[in-house]
Amino acid sequence: MDSSAATQQLFDLWKRQIEEGTKAWARMIGEVPGAAAVDPTAFWRPLMDQGITAWSRMLSQGPASPELLTQWKQFLDQWIEAWSKALGQAMGTEAFAQALGKYLDQWLVTQGPARKAGEQAMESILQSLGLPSRAQVTDVARQLVELEERVERLEDGIAALLKRADGK
Amino acid sequence: MGQERFADIVERFTHGSEAIPVSPEVSKRWQEEIERARLRMKNFARMMADPVEPKTGQTPRQEIYKKNKSRLYRYESARTYRTPVLFVPNLGISRPYIFDLLPGASFIEHMTRQGFDFYLLDWGVFGPEDNGLTLEDCVTRILPRMASKTLESSGASELTVLGYCMGAPLSACFVATHPEIAVRNFVNMAGPIDFAKVGLFGVWLDKRFFNVDRFVDVLGAVPADMVRAGFKLLKPTMDLSTNLNLWWNLWNDRYVEGFSALNKWANEYVAFPAEFFRQWVGDFYQQNKLYRGELRMGGRPVHLSRITCPVFVVGAKEDYIAPPESVKALLGAVGSGDKEYVELPGGHISLIAGRGAAVHCWPRVSRWLAPRS
Repeated sequence: MDSSAATQQLFDLWKRQIEEGTKAWARMIGEVPGAAAVDPTAFWRPLMDQGITAWSRMLSQGPASPELLTQWKQFLDQWIEAWSKALGQAMGTEAFAQALGKYLDQWLVTQGPARKAGEQAMESILQSLGLPSRAQVTDVARQLVELEERVERLEDGIAALLKRADGK
Repeated sequence: MGQERFADIVERFTHGSEAIPVSPEVSKRWQEEIERARLRMKNFARMMADPVEPKTGQTPRQEIYKKNKSRLYRYESARTYRTPVLFVPNLGISRPYIFDLLPGASFIEHMTRQGFDFYLLDWGVFGPEDNGLTLEDCVTRILPRMASKTLESSGASELTVLGYCMGAPLSACFVATHPEIAVRNFVNMAGPIDFAKVGLFGVWLDKRFFNVDRFVDVLGAVPADMVRAGFKLLKPTMDLSTNLNLWWNLWNDRYVEGFSALNKWANEYVAFPAEFFRQWVGDFYQQNKLYRGELRMGGRPVHLSRITCPVFVVGAKEDYIAPPESVKALLGAVGSGDKEYVELPGGHISLIAGRGAAVHCWPRVSRWLAPRS
């Protein structure tokens, strides 16, 4: 038996192991009572097959070279890119946007009261400790921002007046 | 194959049943590959055990003005050109040190070496006290002041405004509504103008599906984690391909250094002030008011046709945040006679950062600006 046959055998065995493994996963998922059996590997299997075939062909053509690793990297890049495109297409639909909007709405429904309750609890703790609340600190910071703005306007006004006076 | 053991096949695969001559070339390349594998392991161990904080933003600069959280920095040059450049990046989302990531990989360094006095507007990191800050405030209060300070600091009578990402539509609003500030050139780098063509974000933020008022009313500021979630969702495979590329290039110290700096930046998200986000999504994404000419700021209508200075627009071919067609739309909307559009390889970030940017984008921008500055 020459090395190319050994290579082919190795990849046949590997491929069979992957297929057996995925079948087992699919069976496990499909065992949910009443649920239809799904194939979680349906999307990437053609890509995987293509990659393995290409790699196997390269190996059978001569002794293994580091080019194989580059090929493998390219295969993974293509695989990720294919996933990215498929996900992009799915996420670019109105159905996805609608589902995302609904999910966000539901999240906000729970988040709103939870945030309010959290803030109130924190305020009462800080109050009992004699410390300023977050809202009070924020108010002071806001006043400082407004003050800075007023000073700037005054500076602008003075600069404009000086400019006018210089012009005269 | 019957009862044959897997190990036997591997053995035969490795050694073969007959002696196969391996060329010196293949042998040499295997040796190189083994060395790379060793370096990968070494760098991986170093990254895990002793992570080094990358030193970003090393180009010397001087803070010349600050307004609340925002800062204006000056990067001095030999000043071959009289007209200074005011660079306006995005507000929120990320920090602006991406434009001065590392020595030799910095847009700012490139521009100063070319002889442009460069002014960076760093919007800053806003807190809950800034939730009342609107987009209109940025255009009518912050940007005019930053432009005036740029002119004052440089002693020039005109300036170039260069907007990147969200900074470009903001700058466009400013240039269109402030004729009293002499803008000599306007450059839009990957900034969306026609929001009917903004891809996934446009679909997700459609007013039929996304209630921006409710979102802002409940959350206040849009937290950094939420911004992160939105951008991660935009490209869910990004982390996978990033890590795969890191592993592949882990033997290369220069790559690792660049990766660490970029990774630091890519994981440092910045929150949006509440009212800013409301106006950004409502007026721009949901109603496309800028492109339609329906926007008013500071009591003035915002008409892009009032931009009459030379305009340079740069789109990125693989940009999924600001797709090229949404960026290119500026060209048809402005009233300028001297206008040009280029579409360069790369995505939203790789357009302005990284090796590709140094080859494709930065020289194009500086070459276009040089005779006009």
